[in-house]
Amino acid sequence: MSHPVTTNPLIIMLINMTVVFLVLIALGVVINLIHYIDPTKPKAAPEEAAPAKPEPVSEPEPAAAAPVEEGISPEVVAVIAAAVASMGCAGTVKAIRPIERNNWKNSGRNAIQSRG
Amino acid sequence: MELLQAFAVSLQAVWLDSGFSAFTMGNGIMILVGLVLLYMAIVKEFEPLLLGPIAFGCILANFPRTGFLEEPGLMQAIHYGIANEIFPPLIFLGIGAMTDFGPLLARPVTLLLGAAAQIGVFVALVGAMLLGFNVQEAGAIGIIGGADGPTAIYLSIQMAPHLLGAIAVAAYSYMSLVPLIQPPIMKLLTTQKEREVAMEQLRPVTKFERVCFPIVAAIIISLLLPPIAALLGCLMLGNLFRESGVMDRLSDTAQNSLCNIVTIFLATGTGMTMNADDFLQPATLLIIGLGLLAFMSGTAGGVLFGKLMCRLSGWKINPLIGSAGVSAVPMAARVSQMVGMKAKPGNYLLMHAMGPNVAGVIGTAVAAGTMLAMLK
Repeated sequence: MSHPVTTNPLIIMLINMTVVFLVLIALGVVINLIHYIDPTKPKAAPEEAAPAKPEPVSEPEPAAAAPVEEGISPEVVAVIAAAVASMGCAGTVKAIRPIERNNWKNSGRNAIQSRG
Repeated sequence: MELLQAFAVSLQAVWLDSGFSAFTMGNGIMILVGLVLLYMAIVKEFEPLLLGPIAFGCILANFPRTGFLEEPGLMQAIHYGIANEIFPPLIFLGIGAMTDFGPLLARPVTLLLGAAAQIGVFVALVGAMLLGFNVQEAGAIGIIGGADGPTAIYLSIQMAPHLLGAIAVAAYSYMSLVPLIQPPIMKLLTTQKEREVAMEQLRPVTKFERVCFPIVAAIIISLLLPPIAALLGCLMLGNLFRESGVMDRLSDTAQNSLCNIVTIFLATGTGMTMNADDFLQPATLLIIGLGLLAFMSGTAGGVLFGKLMCRLSGWKINPLIGSAGVSAVPMAARVSQMVGMKAKPGNYLLMHAMGPNVAGVIGTAVAAGTMLAMLK
């Protein structure tokens, strides 16, 4: 085992905290650099620079958006519709979409539901 | 008559070879300690996945004449994995595969909170040296404040292997007590207005960023601090498994089966270092006290730096997320969320606190690497 560089606790604290801060600041710079050179990031700048022209009002395309997203089987649609009806809700089911697959948002939803 | 004499001699030989004849008061006390730890793990559910095997390892270590560490076998193999720093990096592989660096990548400024909370490590180091521990022992004790079990074990093995049991037990016990230790300090150091600060939604992080970060971070940190290249390298490799999208099987193994298997070995082996001769010392009580000091000062350091960042950012950063900088993933982030929700229902801080939380893991490893470079 080699000898310690110093045995003064305050100097050890100062040097170590400085190194920890410098390394983590360097990582922060790297993260910003990666974000800067990221060729896949969504380009939002042009929209901000020039406000979008008002879209000409057009007739909504009938049935442009599928009421039931791909991947949801007719059986699942039937079960959901039956569940809604059994709760005594009047009206018709107009669309069925899976909730967003974002773990953070789902965690928030779960927290809210568990409180209720 | 001869038969009776032979029987008596044989019986005496069996007795003399048994553990009972060599059983000491110290062994009895340590087995009781093991039973108390088992009670805490099973009944109180304090980090049961870690404290359970540690407690049982402690009981096993105090059976005399087992020859666990002298004769080749499973126990010696487990000890080899600990003494040669094999298990902590493998645990980091699993942690990396479980960790979402997204909040950190979306708001890199929270890295500073992970750095600030490391002050607890060095406050405990100073305290340990004032109490008479040598510099290597003080460094190993201080790392308890990093609230990161594998790093604490990794550093202790290299700087003070005789204190490993006490340090590991203190680290894991306090990590399970984070929900009790942190909130009073967080409330004491913040005002109601600060606790109510709502933070802006984080920007989305692209897959490019998620994949590049572990690769670049591993290169930079390993070149800068080679003593922790195994730890940080495994952390980043595990994260690459997770984020690449093409190594799902490896990611799944790293975060489930492998991590569970290594946890069994690491925790049992750590418990087996708790033999009476090493553990029943006044130093153990001092280490447990210094561990608490480390946790408290680390929490205070993170929160105070959070207050500074709150002011500098124009009240856009809630200081409560600073306490998550002590690592203890994800418990410390949950505590930030819990205290924030109490101050202002509906104020979700969990995702924001995960930034300093994972920064704390990196910060603790960097602190360990710096101490190894300076003090070993």
